[in-house]
Amino acid sequence: MTVKNIKSLAKKAIERPGDALSLAIGLFRGLGYMVYYHVFKYNVRIMFPFIVHAKVRIIGPGTVTLGKGCRVMKNAFKGLTIHTFSSDATVTIGAKCLLGGTTIRCHGSVAIGDGTMTAISLIQDSFLVTRARSGEEANDRLPRPQRIDIGRNVWLGEACFVMNGSTIGDDCVLSSGAWCHDATYSDYVLIMGNPARSAIPIDKLLRLKGEL
Amino acid sequence: MRDFLALLRGRMFLALCRLRGLNVNIGRGLKIYKKVSISGAGRVEIGENCIMAGIRGDSSQYVCLETLNPSAVIHIGDNASLYAARIAAKFRIMVGNDVLIEEAGIMDTDYHSIEKDRKTPAGENENKCRVTVGNRVCMGARSSILKGTTIGDDAIIAPGSIVTMSVKSGSTVAGNPARILTT
Repeated sequence: MTVKNIKSLAKKAIERPGDALSLAIGLFRGLGYMVYYHVFKYNVRIMFPFIVHAKVRIIGPGTVTLGKGCRVMKNAFKGLTIHTFSSDATVTIGAKCLLGGTTIRCHGSVAIGDGTMTAISLIQDSFLVTRARSGEEANDRLPRPQRIDIGRNVWLGEACFVMNGSTIGDDCVLSSGAWCHDATYSDYVLIMGNPARSAIPIDKLLRLKGEL
Repeated sequence: MRDFLALLRGRMFLALCRLRGLNVNIGRGLKIYKKVSISGAGRVEIGENCIMAGIRGDSSQYVCLETLNPSAVIHIGDNASLYAARIAAKFRIMVGNDVLIEEAGIMDTDYHSIEKDRKTPAGENENKCRVTVGNRVCMGARSSILKGTTIGDDAIIAPGSIVTMSVKSGSTVAGNPARILTT
């Protein structure tokens, strides 16, 4: 970081002291969470700039990795919840993600790319979390837990569901209330509907808007 | 240890219900892991060996059974597991045996009419609005069952679905409104 950068940052802080204060409080809170998980939980790894404005709960025996510069926003005061149900479960979240109000429930593996934004949404890799955990054979028709892959720079809208087996490409947008399950979506498309119908390429959408 | 504590809490809950004079009939072996609220003047019947728990990581979700009418009935069968289930009955809700409900809601009334005055809906009666859930039904998170539906045995309701029509036995439904995914 050069001197010029620091000078511009200081100027911004003097211009808007409220934002600077909230950022400092967020950094301090994040540091607290980092120290707590580093000391008491060996399976959780959080990289340094972790800015927290709401509650963070990471429960379960699985491996959880949060990248550099993640931020948990105050989204309806819900915070971030990550719940792993087995020791094989892995949750990987990339760098510079904006997480707030999202709930991740994981049996197998969940991977989220860099720069993803989330609203109050549910990412769950099995239909029923409690039944899949106990491994009961009573209801064999239940779908198995499958891998979830979310690409870079994806925007998850309000109240959307990402279920087992869904693979979402880079730069996608999930509209509010979208529900995707066992499907692969290519890059830069708009996914909407419950259950989600065929995705619309955003390039095409923008072109149509330009014509109108 | 946790299970033993849950059993103890179940016994205490039974005693409390008797003390408060609630119209509640609960079978043996009830396990309570988190807060449970039963309210209203109607009748609540719960079978044997039931589990009542919350969703871990969300402290605001707990089991909530409410009767809105003195003649309302909520019946839950044996071996049911309710994880943060919310059930509100004005007439009659019958839930079968071995049912699993996760963070989902069942209600048999609309509470208000769609007219401008928002009063209690006029055309509702027990024959029209009662909800029946079969045996071995599984309900996923954040789904809800609305009035006048019948759900057959072994049905699976996917997370996030809103069930407005009756569901055949043995089928999987998803979406808003819920449609058949597989039979």
